[in-house]
Amino acid sequence: MTAQTTMLDAEPGSTPIVFEEPRIRSRWSLLFRSGTFWVGAIITGFWACCAIFGPWVVPLDPFADDLMNTLGPPDALHWFGTDQLGRDVFSRVIVGARDILTIAPLATIVGTICGTIVGLVTGYFGGIVDMLVSRVIEVMVALPLIVVALLVLVALGPSTPAVIVVIGLVFTPLIGRTVRAAVQSERDLDYVDAAQIRGENALHIMFVEILPNVLPPILVEMTVRLGYAIFFVASLSFLGFGIQPPSPDWGLAISENYGVIAGGYWWTVAFAAGATGSLVVGVNLLAEGIHGALTG
Amino acid sequence: MGHQQDDRDALRRRCTEVANHLVDEFNAGRLSRRGFFQRGAVLGLSAPLMSGLVGGGLSLFPSAARAAGNPGGTIRVGLTVPTASIDPVAIADAGGLIIIQQLGDFLIYDGPDLILKPMLAESWKPNKDGSVWTFKLRQGVKFHSGKTLTADDVVATFDRLADPANSSNALSVFSGVLSKGNTKKVDDLTVEFHLDAPNGNFPYSVSTDNYNAIILPASFDGGYEKSFDGTGPFRMEKYTPKVGASFVRNPDYWGGAVLPDRLEFSFYADQQPQILALMGGQVDVLQQVVVQGGQAILSNPDIEINRIKAATHRQVHMRTDSANFKDKRVRQALALALDRQAIVKGLFRGMSDLGNDSPMAPVYPSTDRSVPQRQKDIAKAKQLLAEAGVPNGFEVTLTTEQYQEIPTYAVLIKNAAAEIGIKINLNVMDQGAYYGSATYGNSPWLDSELGITDYGHRGTPNVILSAPLVSNGSWNSAHFKNPAYDKLVADYVAAVDLDTQRKTAKQIETLLNDEVPVIFGYFYDFLIPQTKKVKGITGTALSQLFLQNASVV
Repeated sequence: MTAQTTMLDAEPGSTPIVFEEPRIRSRWSLLFRSGTFWVGAIITGFWACCAIFGPWVVPLDPFADDLMNTLGPPDALHWFGTDQLGRDVFSRVIVGARDILTIAPLATIVGTICGTIVGLVTGYFGGIVDMLVSRVIEVMVALPLIVVALLVLVALGPSTPAVIVVIGLVFTPLIGRTVRAAVQSERDLDYVDAAQIRGENALHIMFVEILPNVLPPILVEMTVRLGYAIFFVASLSFLGFGIQPPSPDWGLAISENYGVIAGGYWWTVAFAAGATGSLVVGVNLLAEGIHGALTG
Repeated sequence: MGHQQDDRDALRRRCTEVANHLVDEFNAGRLSRRGFFQRGAVLGLSAPLMSGLVGGGLSLFPSAARAAGNPGGTIRVGLTVPTASIDPVAIADAGGLIIIQQLGDFLIYDGPDLILKPMLAESWKPNKDGSVWTFKLRQGVKFHSGKTLTADDVVATFDRLADPANSSNALSVFSGVLSKGNTKKVDDLTVEFHLDAPNGNFPYSVSTDNYNAIILPASFDGGYEKSFDGTGPFRMEKYTPKVGASFVRNPDYWGGAVLPDRLEFSFYADQQPQILALMGGQVDVLQQVVVQGGQAILSNPDIEINRIKAATHRQVHMRTDSANFKDKRVRQALALALDRQAIVKGLFRGMSDLGNDSPMAPVYPSTDRSVPQRQKDIAKAKQLLAEAGVPNGFEVTLTTEQYQEIPTYAVLIKNAAAEIGIKINLNVMDQGAYYGSATYGNSPWLDSELGITDYGHRGTPNVILSAPLVSNGSWNSAHFKNPAYDKLVADYVAAVDLDTQRKTAKQIETLLNDEVPVIFGYFYDFLIPQTKKVKGITGTALSQLFLQNASVV
């Protein structure tokens, strides 16, 4: 919107762009009428509430061990049973939303910012810059992402900031490719030519002129990546490279307890796995709703 | 009765002063029958002699015992995949050591009861101060290649293991004990070990307890996977790295008939698939199961658990040269915060002994049990912290490894420490990263201020008393330097008679219990699960399985 307004002021003779406001209003309307979006929002919102208010509403201390009551089945006191240290699984699942809903969005934002910069630069400049960066992106995308992440985590050492950076880095080429494609389709439009004729520098054209016009695909890509990020965080925790104990993180809980499933202690893993699955589904539905509204 | 007493007196006249002292200890009730046989065997007293001295019998090495099962069949074993090539000199992992143990024999067998029994050595005895040990070898033992075992093979084997140039894993046992060139051939069937210092427990160092010490031909010059030669009850049929191995019976085995026709070893990366394989009938026995994750078979009525008392433990080291832990009262406070009884019950379902902050595990006959057991005492812990000038505690990072129950133990320590105001942040690392290069300055294991490290079972406490705790120890992650302790350990290692060992052990236990450079919280049992249709399997707490008498019912 900013770009169009600027162009209008700079070139009084050009065609005024007046359809933006109604288009945006129509998109919001489409979004709020989407059942998919609302189901996703409710699920994600539930877990977000757990992440924010969980520590104050859980019935028992999620960190307190009780070695005389380990691996207890669900009952009136422990709704989801107890784990190998006698900790209350219900409280841990509720509070466990906090880590994953902090790390995954932050990692996605890091990946989106970096990917947007890469996509803008390669898409706008093209030529040798595009060719070189695109080849590097292809190499990165060709490697299994989890392996790349593990290698970087081994080098950095497992910690929460490291996990955020690693997932952000892994997502950068993926988001960068999407942004590049969108920028390439904008690059030859009149408003970009006009800005160049005005003598605007490349940074201004990329971030002030083009970026607002490629925001919808970036937003869709970001929400899609958020779902993957949740899964990624859980996977890294499961492999022992993510969040450190005694966090009630869901991936870590599955990692710590999957060995006892064969003994019949399903509750130690099932609820954490179900929580992870429901959050991923919720975020994906949210993404699908946003995608439908922006492209509908 | 009088006739029996005369016989015993006659036998005692044949014994050394130390052996007679051992009999006196037994007669006075200060030594159990098992303890008598354990210590007597170390000194080289034969089973018949010991039986004659105190009455009662002694179980024999598995192959020397008459095999009671049915010959034939295949025994299928599930085990952890060996981490490196099969090299008896360098091997350091459970998957590898069980393979060489099927192919080769040791001079002495140290069974689950820690009573030494003859294997390739028929007898052994020390000189008066325990600095020279003489071993008589069994006659007529043949390698799989057909060559006959002689003293030259034994000398070459121990020279190889004691040579720092060979990257020998056995150096952790032989360093300061036996040097290259000090294993001497007396005649074709007699070998003398001239030790670096007197050592009353030396026979353990050449027993199954030192899992690298299988006797190899003198001509062995590396590349073990080309020959897989040895004197053991089984010959290698096929070895596929990362997949498995199969063995066939050695028809010329010196120890008598080997019952199974074949052995099939399947390698697994983790405990869970092993458990599922055992429950699904794909294997008959597992090398080991740990309680964490092993609940499915621990309560399964179709599975038998062979439970072996062991000295396997975790060391919680506190850097005695760090600002937080330099005051022993702080270390004592953290040790007092732990509820060890609850840990043993909760983490190990009771299948563990309590630790009392020294390596002297209850399983060792020389351990003095009179040192009071440290109990959880939060009030006293807080008082000690106040006296040490940190009444409100402090914040510290506990660095440890992702291995078995250790991360869980770390959480329990964190929660216990919180009760006395110490805030612990956990840093749980991959096992390889935790050990790093295993040298000071390059290893979180040796450099971290507070950490937890896994230690396996040993037949004697010698190595654990030394490497992690003496001033110049190579595994001293607590950076503990105490000349009085160093002297006590030297005295303990040199002691030939049990009485001296016990007296020294008591001083060691008392000193460590007071200084607490390391918390020894528990010594857990070694568990070997097997299906009920297989009988005759013997194991050790070092992950070894003796399968020559195994049969399928």
